[in-house]
Amino acid sequence: MGKRSGSSRKDKNKVILPPELPPEIHDDEVDVSEEDIEFYATDSSNVTPFRHFDKKSIDRYVGRVAGRDEGEVERLYEERQKRKATESSGRPREDDDYLEVDPVDALPTKTLQGELVYNRAKKARSEDNSGSVKTKAQENGANAKTNTKKDESKGKSKNKKGDDNKVKNIQSQTEVPKGQLHSNVLEEVKEELSAEELFEKKKAQLAELGMSMLEDPESNIRSLNDMLSISNDRDQKVVKLGVMSLLAVFKDVIPSYRIRQLTEKELAVEVSKEVKKTRYYEYTLIRCYKAYLQKLISLEKQPYFYTVAVRCMCALLDTAPHFNFRESLLASVVKNLSSSDDVVRKMCCEAIRSLFINEGKHRGEATIEAVRLIADHVKLNDCQLHPDSIEVFLSLRFDEDIGKDEIQEEKVKPKRNKRWQKNQEVPKQLPVNDKKKTRQELISKARKEVDADLRAVSFTLDPKERKGIQKETLSALFETYFRILKHSMAASNSRTKVNNVSPGGSHPLLTPCLEGLGKFSHLIDLDFMGELISCLKKLSGYSDRQDEIPNDNALSVSERLQCCIVVFKVWRSNLEALNVDLQDFFVQLYNLILEYRPDRDHGEVLADALKTLLWEGRQHDMLRAAAFIKRLATFALSFGSAEAIAALVTLKHLLQKNSKCRNMLENDSGGGSLSCLVAKYNPEATDPYLSGALASVLWELSLLEKHYDISVSSMASNILSMANLNPTQNPVPILNVNPLEAYRDLSLERELSKPASKALPLNLKRKRRAKEFVALSPDVLQKADCSVDKDELEEKLQSHFSVLRGISENERLRAELNHTLSSINMYKEYKKQKRKNMKVKTGRKKNSKALAV
Amino acid sequence: MAKKLGKKARKFARKNLQSAAKRNRKIRNQFKHRRGPRGGGSAGREDGDEHVLQRVLDPTMVTDDAAATLIHGLEFPEDDAELDADLSDSDGYLSEDPGCPYYSDSEDEKAAKDCIMEEGLDRQNDDMNRDIKKQKKKLKKLLDKDPEFANFLEKWQSELESSRSKGDSDEEGMDSMDDDDDSNDGNLPNAKVLTRKTISEWCQLVSKEPKAPALRNLLNAFRDACRYGVHSDGPLMQRFQSARVFYQIIMFVLSESDNIFRALLEIQDDVNKGKIMNLRNSKKWLTVDSLIKSYLSSSLDLLSQLTDNKILAFVLTRLRVSVVLFSAYPSTSSRLVKILFRLWASGDRSLSLSAFLMIREVASLLPDCLDHCLTKSYNTYLASTNLVNDRNTKHIYFLMDCLVELYSLDVQKSYERAIISVEQLNAILRQASKTKEKEDLRKIDNWQYISCVNLWVRFLCCHYKDYNLHPLFSQVLQVIRGVAHLFPGTRYLPLRLKLVQMLNELSTCSQMFYPIPSLLFDCLELREVSQKEQTQRTKINFSSLLKVPKNLLKSRDFQEECILSAIQILSAHFAQWSYHVSFPEVATIPLVLLKRLHEQTTVESLRRPIKRLIDQVTENKDFIERKREVVSFSPNDKASVDSFLQEEKVSRTASFTRFYASVAENRQPKWRKTL
Repeated sequence: MGKRSGSSRKDKNKVILPPELPPEIHDDEVDVSEEDIEFYATDSSNVTPFRHFDKKSIDRYVGRVAGRDEGEVERLYEERQKRKATESSGRPREDDDYLEVDPVDALPTKTLQGELVYNRAKKARSEDNSGSVKTKAQENGANAKTNTKKDESKGKSKNKKGDDNKVKNIQSQTEVPKGQLHSNVLEEVKEELSAEELFEKKKAQLAELGMSMLEDPESNIRSLNDMLSISNDRDQKVVKLGVMSLLAVFKDVIPSYRIRQLTEKELAVEVSKEVKKTRYYEYTLIRCYKAYLQKLISLEKQPYFYTVAVRCMCALLDTAPHFNFRESLLASVVKNLSSSDDVVRKMCCEAIRSLFINEGKHRGEATIEAVRLIADHVKLNDCQLHPDSIEVFLSLRFDEDIGKDEIQEEKVKPKRNKRWQKNQEVPKQLPVNDKKKTRQELISKARKEVDADLRAVSFTLDPKERKGIQKETLSALFETYFRILKHSMAASNSRTKVNNVSPGGSHPLLTPCLEGLGKFSHLIDLDFMGELISCLKKLSGYSDRQDEIPNDNALSVSERLQCCIVVFKVWRSNLEALNVDLQDFFVQLYNLILEYRPDRDHGEVLADALKTLLWEGRQHDMLRAAAFIKRLATFALSFGSAEAIAALVTLKHLLQKNSKCRNMLENDSGGGSLSCLVAKYNPEATDPYLSGALASVLWELSLLEKHYDISVSSMASNILSMANLNPTQNPVPILNVNPLEAYRDLSLERELSKPASKALPLNLKRKRRAKEFVALSPDVLQKADCSVDKDELEEKLQSHFSVLRGISENERLRAELNHTLSSINMYKEYKKQKRKNMKVKTGRKKNSKALAV
Repeated sequence: MAKKLGKKARKFARKNLQSAAKRNRKIRNQFKHRRGPRGGGSAGREDGDEHVLQRVLDPTMVTDDAAATLIHGLEFPEDDAELDADLSDSDGYLSEDPGCPYYSDSEDEKAAKDCIMEEGLDRQNDDMNRDIKKQKKKLKKLLDKDPEFANFLEKWQSELESSRSKGDSDEEGMDSMDDDDDSNDGNLPNAKVLTRKTISEWCQLVSKEPKAPALRNLLNAFRDACRYGVHSDGPLMQRFQSARVFYQIIMFVLSESDNIFRALLEIQDDVNKGKIMNLRNSKKWLTVDSLIKSYLSSSLDLLSQLTDNKILAFVLTRLRVSVVLFSAYPSTSSRLVKILFRLWASGDRSLSLSAFLMIREVASLLPDCLDHCLTKSYNTYLASTNLVNDRNTKHIYFLMDCLVELYSLDVQKSYERAIISVEQLNAILRQASKTKEKEDLRKIDNWQYISCVNLWVRFLCCHYKDYNLHPLFSQVLQVIRGVAHLFPGTRYLPLRLKLVQMLNELSTCSQMFYPIPSLLFDCLELREVSQKEQTQRTKINFSSLLKVPKNLLKSRDFQEECILSAIQILSAHFAQWSYHVSFPEVATIPLVLLKRLHEQTTVESLRRPIKRLIDQVTENKDFIERKREVVSFSPNDKASVDSFLQEEKVSRTASFTRFYASVAENRQPKWRKTL
């Protein structure tokens, strides 16, 4: 107890000392440690000697174990078994004792270490005979631990020194003279023996420490140190546990504000005890948090801890995006966005997404940081990342009303201000002396300060700041998007020559990028618009040479369709103010319809393209509309019901908008009635204007009326009924959806997810005589009637008979043979018995003779 | 007894019957069947060794257990409870009229004997005979030497016998029924040797006058003939000394008994079950009841004894005429059904067919058997589609046709079953599309599933015109589309082609339009052919494949097969709509792709068929365009559209029809004719 009181006094001394906060060093420190790690990771030439040597020596030990000391090892294992048995019976009592001796809530470092040492001593005593080297090594280890402890308290160069120490340890271990190898082997085996016990113990310890932290973080803040030291354990399982429990503790303990560095001035000022305590608490917390993060970052490099480390970081980022060291957390998480490990990637995406969605937690600062980091990441990796890393952008939210609000507010403000000023001005107009003026100034100054403080505390940004952040985020976002577009373009140009192996595969980021552009199209700056559109035009595969179909275009059909969609979305969201010729994109769509393949490409994209380009379009050129109408009708004849209904919905819409095209529904002499440039329809034309579709008749619809899918066939008849109506009239609408919705409604996934419909009972049309054959063809049936040749039959039956007979005969003979043989064998037995009988008889005779004599 | 017999027989066969085994291997390769206790007993040793052989021979058997797990509840539940209800009432022995003469004709006996004995067996028997003689001599010597030994031996023998009989009764307590039968047989006075003369005499008597008492003797002889070889040491073996007698009896009884019975009962050819049931209580029936029963059960014994396909088929055809008689004996008929299904599933075409015709007869004449037959046939079909290879595809199609035939007997009843089965298929599909897990997908990507779908497609095709099967139709359609959707990619092209084929069939029978081309575009766009020349050409037969092995994916043969199959199916689709007014539009997009394929393909052998299809389609397209330029109706005029080119369609004169006929014929060996 005395010891403990001493230690607590020490603590007090520490508390009294002005907390030397190293906030300036935080970031630097992180960098240093990363450098260290990099040093170890990259400069393998420095590390390999150690590793190499170590391995060798270990191999040697193992060899020894296998060779000479088998008996010894065997004995040790037995010992372990025995110990386990005794332990299982004795442990509860021990635990009780332990609890009695040390109350759970107060476990100062020293006591803890003392405890450990004590245990070891006990063990050492019990295993005296095994040699003293072990204790030495343990002391060595303990020294290293205490060293790290001390270093930690120093705070600054702790990590480096710890590493140095470790290196030294390794060296000292490997430099053990050969004579001691034998004892080394024993020692290692013993270490393994005690490892399980240690693990159990450390687990309990961690649990206790964690509980105490959660109960009263203020007074038990120092347990964090202990937990950290446990998570530096050599046992990987313990490290995992330690890291996870630290995560739980931090999640709970981290305050809802960022801990600020104290200025010199503040340090100099005398403060109350309470404040000191808080300052100490914050100081310890942040120090431990930093150490923890460093630990995580270093663990992330090791494959065994990879998932755990990333999970911890994601959880931390999720719960404490406002807290200190967010930058390093973000950097690691963003780096892992494109991890090849599915689980890790999912976690990171979720974390970043929640960061974007819950901007209130961090005032949007983390958002911009994350976006920038992702942008850099994309840049660094030359756009060769997993699509998920860009897809997270889709969860970004941009408040369009910020600017408007501001404008409105500004409009309102002056009025208010005036009124307010008026009120204020009334007293102001009075002559005021300097004193008052200064006082007023002071007041206003104070007010401003208070306002700033309030803002800082309440986490709300004024619109200007928010707008600034948003602007920056947007620019980083679009920078990324444009980079990807540029890259795809460059690649598609060069790759046509280089490798044509995996079309579409080398632009993993393009699809989410186009999706994002579509989503944020209204936020694109008008200045970029022209360039963007020309860029997309190239990407969509449009070439000036009409005659050549760009077959080896690098992009897939879906991607090219998406380009068209994005262009129209951009154009439309900017109020169609842009004076661009989008004709080329229609041509592109016209041709892409033929390139669509149901399983390879996404049907939804096609339906979306139809919707954006044709269904939502206002007025169409008659020629163009006619060409699309014809092509869509033809398309519906070759593709599945979902695609067909999307096409038909679009077709109907086009017919409604362009009443002149309704002539295509009727067969006047010489096909369509309208004369145009091209007299005959050419279905394979690549230019809608030159297809001559207006001269064709929509015969397709008559066949589509026979479509197996009831919705398609009814749609076809609905369209056909338009022919009988006036140009201004429209038929009764049967499907009031856009092509995309129509597609989704009929898609197979939807159909299969619907509950199965119960089939109705059968109602007969007519009863067929049951004797007729329906499925089997008559020539097959004929074969049955031709009877078998009589002679053949006879022969076969007879051979059947003889086989049966032969078998039975064989069996019978065999039985007989066996019987005879065994009878012969019995003869021997018989003789033996006989002889015995003879003997007995002769014996008896002798006896009787003897008796007689 | 059955078990033991089987084991013994197997052992015996393995040791001593190599030559017989070889012969059996040649003549029969049939499916394993489950045997009832009784059936097993009477199946005897021949079947026992058959069993062993099958294990080795039949590739289906090897994978039986593994594949059985894949059946996953597609089967209908079967209930075998009704079996064995009244099997033990009699074993079919008839008391004989002592007045009937037995003749002896030993003169031809010797000559007939051994004339066609199996050589290997024969030699072995001879050797053994020699051995026995030798050993007996030895024994005799011993006995002569020491007369006391004879006493000792006698004692030992009696001990042995008693202990053996004890063991037997312990072991086979449950089979005591059979033993009883045997002992009865032994006690009966009919162990007289049957000679040719006797049989001919009896036959004459019976042919002259069906009511003659000789009929009983004849049927008894038939019964013994049918059970010949079941118990090797029984007195039955002695009754037949020559193969000719055996043949004579069986042939005569099989060919004449139906007429005789009909004459006795005074019934016509077209009696049904009801009439038989009415007859059952009449006096006439009572006199022949035991005769009929004996005849039927003996024939069944014969069926389970025989191994040769031809004889089996013959017996079945003979027996088919008297199916109606089975209606009086439910237990016998259920045994019959069991045997029939075993034979039906066996690989031999003619045997299978005659078994099926018999099944159909049974199902149509005996209404209570129909349900059982439907279930059993469906399950048998599923079991035999477990494994499909090049050899048995034809047989499986045949089984499927038979099944459809059977299900057409009572469409109302079958429809309910079809709905249940298709709902099961649908549920599996939904599950798989929800989870997309490998295990669930494997439930679809197997032959049982696909064969099941194919079965119902065929069923629909046969009955769509006559019944309103639309609910079933749409469900089947959904299943097909769902499966095609779930398995994209080149590897599953054979599966895809099969599904498209089914769609074609459905489309043809229902006259509805189904857009097939988009499902075939994958086939037409294969581009990557491995550059290296293949050393040996691997034969790829899509009809026995669902998934292409990976190593063949880029092979030229695979591509060729793909494109040829696609051409065939596409032309079937075109042929269906070749007289429709909008044929040019139907062909537009496929034509674009075909032309592109023709330009790009590097495989010379494909150019010609592709070009031919393109030319034919273009020609037909021009033909339709010319024709429709002169008509005046519009697309919304349904009646006129339907009547467009009807005459040509009926006369089938257009060139494309002829082209399709030739394509279909060329591919006939590989693809089943559509209808």
